[in-house]
Order: sequence, then structure tokens, then C-alpha cells
Amino acid sequence: MTTTTRPGTVVPPHPIVRVRRPDARHIAGRLVIYLLLAFFSLFVLIPLAYMISTSLKVEEQLFIWPIQWIPDPIQWQNYIQAFRSLGQIAPGLTFWRILSNTLVITLLAMSAELIAVTLVAYGFARFRFPGRDTLFFVMLSTMMLPSIITLIPTFLIWRNLNLIDHYDPLVLGAWFGGGAWAVFMLRQFLLGIPPEMEEAAVVDGANAFQVYYMIILPLVKPALLALGVLMFQGNWNNFMGPLIYLNTTVQFPMILALQFFLASLSNEAPKWHYMMAMATVMAAPLLALYFVAQKYFIEGLTMGAVKG
Amino acid sequence: MYLSAWDSYAPTIVRWLLVGGGIIAIVVGLNKGLQALGVRRETARGFALISPWLLGFLIWNAFPFAYSFYLSFTKYNIFQPPEWIGIQNYVEMFTKDTDFWPSLRLTLLFAALNVPLGMVGALGVALLLNRDVKAIGLWRTIYYLPAVLPAAAVALLWRWMFSPGSGLINFFLQPFYALFNIGPLQWFTEPKLVLPAFIIMGMWGVFGANAVILLAGLKNIPQHLYEAADIDGAGTMQKFRFITLPMLSSTLFYTLVTGIIGALQIFTQAFFIPVPRRAGTFMNVLIYQEAFTFRNMGYASALAWVLLVIILILTVLVFRSSAAWVHYEGVKG
Repeated sequence: MTTTTRPGTVVPPHPIVRVRRPDARHIAGRLVIYLLLAFFSLFVLIPLAYMISTSLKVEEQLFIWPIQWIPDPIQWQNYIQAFRSLGQIAPGLTFWRILSNTLVITLLAMSAELIAVTLVAYGFARFRFPGRDTLFFVMLSTMMLPSIITLIPTFLIWRNLNLIDHYDPLVLGAWFGGGAWAVFMLRQFLLGIPPEMEEAAVVDGANAFQVYYMIILPLVKPALLALGVLMFQGNWNNFMGPLIYLNTTVQFPMILALQFFLASLSNEAPKWHYMMAMATVMAAPLLALYFVAQKYFIEGLTMGAVKG
Repeated sequence: MYLSAWDSYAPTIVRWLLVGGGIIAIVVGLNKGLQALGVRRETARGFALISPWLLGFLIWNAFPFAYSFYLSFTKYNIFQPPEWIGIQNYVEMFTKDTDFWPSLRLTLLFAALNVPLGMVGALGVALLLNRDVKAIGLWRTIYYLPAVLPAAAVALLWRWMFSPGSGLINFFLQPFYALFNIGPLQWFTEPKLVLPAFIIMGMWGVFGANAVILLAGLKNIPQHLYEAADIDGAGTMQKFRFITLPMLSSTLFYTLVTGIIGALQIFTQAFFIPVPRRAGTFMNVLIYQEAFTFRNMGYASALAWVLLVIILILTVLVFRSSAAWVHYEGVKG
């Protein structure tokens, strides 16, 4: 933190222009910044490298020191073997079945959330009606509510509906508003858009549905993409829901299959190369999505924090 | 023979379509119906649009909230109807339950240490990234990576990292073990080490994401403030103290509140990493076990209510204190 103003810096008459000549002190300062950044990056990256490296090792190599970061031989087989041994303890639970289970849950929940959230956020952002601000405040306070509080009664509702061990408890709730946090984000986003376009469309004779479909949806598309990736991530990673509602192993999504596999291994000899292979498989789609749509991850993350 | 994929998906997909259609029908119907009843058009539209949330609030928030409060005064194992036992659950929790106090202690300590440490680390990285560094996109990508990973994968990874005989951490620590002549540390199994291990894991998961949030906050600070300070001859520390911190305070506040609420509710990592009973377990895991392993729904509800009250008290305290340190633009803070 030494570079911005230094004693002896001559403030130029036009203070907006700051001329910086590279001197030794400045270069040293920059070097320290990059070294610190690199150090923190290592803290982030080493565990990740360790995960992937472990997933490609034969069992004997796991315990060798110094660590072989690039395994020799590279044991791609682990990925197949891990799911094969899972299939042996849970018949029918193949890799493809797990993948489709996870995708069915994730996509159904995510799309319902996206549809519901646009409706509700549009209502809160653009229409004045008695009680609106109170209701909005109530919605915000539900974000503080720990989900564990409503978990048991919610479980009892699904149990009374005879839908335990079905996917319904994991996906149907998404239709009801799509989550307070997402509504809040999208409403903030909508408030930042001037309503003139909608008003013009109404003057031109557009009905409510046309305004929503032809004006609002295209305008909020970037925000929806940002919310979409975060919702995908949230549903993909949801653990408590499948854990409580699903019993039949063949219906398990990835995360529950992972837990089942872990629990089936004795604590003495966890097959870490298999576990890491499965963890990598579980993380891979999210990492791929992250590299493709990074912009939207960051946008979704910072939307509420900075503007709110 | 096991359930085929089609048999397992189809009924849910049908019900999903029905519920979705029902929700849309409610929105359209309310809009038309309210207007037919003579309600102002704007009111009818707005109310109809938010009705999915309102319905969800009543079914999935308000009713469960009230019902779980009721259950916390009962003995209920799902199979027999709830039996009213007054405050006995709470009495038992505070006086008899040997798991409650260690778990509460572990959960609170985790939140109290993980959140501030994570924020300091995040602020440091964000300040570094804000100094016109090259390849900012690359750094940001790296730092945010852990937040993208599933909590389950993170938990497994760190269980392996901390694995006593052979994990990476103990390999790195070997010279120290030789120096002090001790055996490898039993992370996650030695009660005293459970908390530090969880904090290291928690920091890894959260500090990068917070750094990205704080960086966005830093970029939002108008540059002219610094230029004005330059003219007045302010030093780096002064600018940090009187411009950066106040202008960043609302973002810091956001990360603090979400951090506390999140840390108190840690579940997936805690579930994937078994720790010795003596060390306590995290509150959410304790509640889950009472409810779904031992079927003590009433007692579990009481535990959940205690957690809720703690979260509320902390949130109120943070909000109260925010008046003193959070600066909102345009409002004197």
C-alpha cells in the first residue's frame, strides 16, 4: 500500500492526470502485490490440484512422499472403477442414471424457480397495491429464517401427501415464488430499468401478457442468466433435501450417491482415489459452467451486495 | 428389479406440470377475478403477480413456522400423534442433554472465528486486486473457484487433506512433528482440533467469494474521492480509513450478515465429516439426527427454535451496531 502517493510526489496542476515513473520502490511494491496474490492462489489451488491428482492415482501411490503431482501411470480407470463399485452396492445406480437423476431434479427446480421469480419480482417492482411494502418486508425477513425450522413440518406435509421417496418435494416448491433471495435480486434489477418502454407499449395497445413477454423478459435476461447459474448450482448441490426425502438408492442424485458410497466404505480404508474421482465428477459440470458463464456467476454474486 | 428411470421421473414431471399450470392459472384468474370484483387494475395485476409467493409463504413458511413452534412443546415420533409435554423439551436440552452444549459451543465458535477471519482475508485480497493488477480476470477466476465447488466435494477433499497418516497437511507438517517429537495430528478425530480444521476448510471455501464481492464494492467507490484526498495530501492509511472503509461498509455489512447466517447453518460439510461425540456436532446436524435418525420430532423442533432465537439475536445485534459503522451514501451514517 505504498504506491498511490509518496512523499515528494509533485501534484501536477491538473490533478486528474497522475504520472507514474517506474522507480525501484514502485517495482518492489508491485512485486509484493503479485507475490501475495500468488501465495493466496496457491492456498486455493493446491487442494484442487490434490483432488484431481489423487483421483488419477493407483492406490499404492496415494501414500508416497514427496507427492507425485502428476501420477504415473495416469489411472483414468479410477473413474470407471469408482462408479462400478458403487453399482455393486446399489444395483442399477450407474453413472448415467445418477447423472440423469441429478439433471431431472436440477432442471425441473431451476426452470420453475426462474418462471416464478420473474412473475413475483415484476409484481413487486412495477405495481403499486395496498400492503405491497409490508409483504415485501415479510418476504425479506423469511431470508433470515433458518431452513431447519420449517424442515420438520415441511417433511410432514410431503409425508401426508404420500410423496416421500419421490422427486416432488425437491422440485414442486420451486413454483411458489422461486425463493425470496432471487425475487429480491430481480426486483432490484427491475427497479434500475426505467419503465418508459413498458408505458410506451401499453400506449401502443399491448396487453399485460405482451408487456411481460416482449418487454420485461428481454430486459431482465442478463439478470435471469445470473440467477439461473446460481440456481443451477444451488439445486445441483442441494444435499439436505435428497437426504431426507429419497430412500430408494436407484433414485439418488450425485451428492447422495457420494454420501452413500462414503458411508458404505469402512472408516479404516476409505478408497480416497475413488472418492476424489467422484468428487471431481460432481464438481466438473459446475466448473465447466463456471468457465463458460463466469460473468454471470460474478454478476449474480455481486448483484445484491453492492447495489442493495 | 429396480425402479426404471421413466417410472421414477414421469409421475413427478406430470405433477410438476400440473402445479406449474395451476400457479399460472391462479395468477391469470386472480388478475381477471379481482378486476371483475371492481378492484383497481394496477392493484389486481400486482397482487396477482405476487400471489405465487404469497401462497408459498403461507404453505412453506407461515404454517411450518407455527407448527414447528407447537411441536417443540410435544413428544412426537411421527407414528403416534404429538403429545403435549409443555416445556419439558427445553428443560431437557438445557439440563440433561450432553450433546447440546458442546454442539452449541462448536457452532457459535465456528461462526465467531470463521466469519471475521474470512472477511479479513477477503478484504486483503480484494484490496490487492484493486491495485490495477494485470490479468485481473485470471486472479478473480482462481479466487472464486472454491465457491463453485459443491460443499460435499469440498468436505471430502478436506477430509482427505487432513487424513492423519497420509493427507497432504500432515505431509507438510512432518518436519514440525520431527522437531517436537510428536505423532501426526489427528485432525477431525481429536476434539481440540475439530474447530481449527473446520475453520481452515471454511476459510478456503468462503474467502475467495467474499473477495470478489468486496472487489465489486471497491470498484464502486467513486474515483474522485481519492483524487480529492490526493489534493488534500492524504496518506494511504488515511485514505483507507476515511474513504475506503466507510464507502465499503455496506458491502462489508452484507458479507457479515450472510456470513453469520450461513456459518450457523453449516450442514453438508459437517455431515460429510464425522467428528467425535465429545467435540460436539454442528447444530444443524444435531437437529437432523434428532429428527430423522431418532425420530424425536418434538425435541428436534425445540432445538431448531433455540437456533432460530440465536440467529435472530445475532442478526439484531449486527443490525443495531450497523448504525455506528455502516455508511449509506446520501444518508449520514
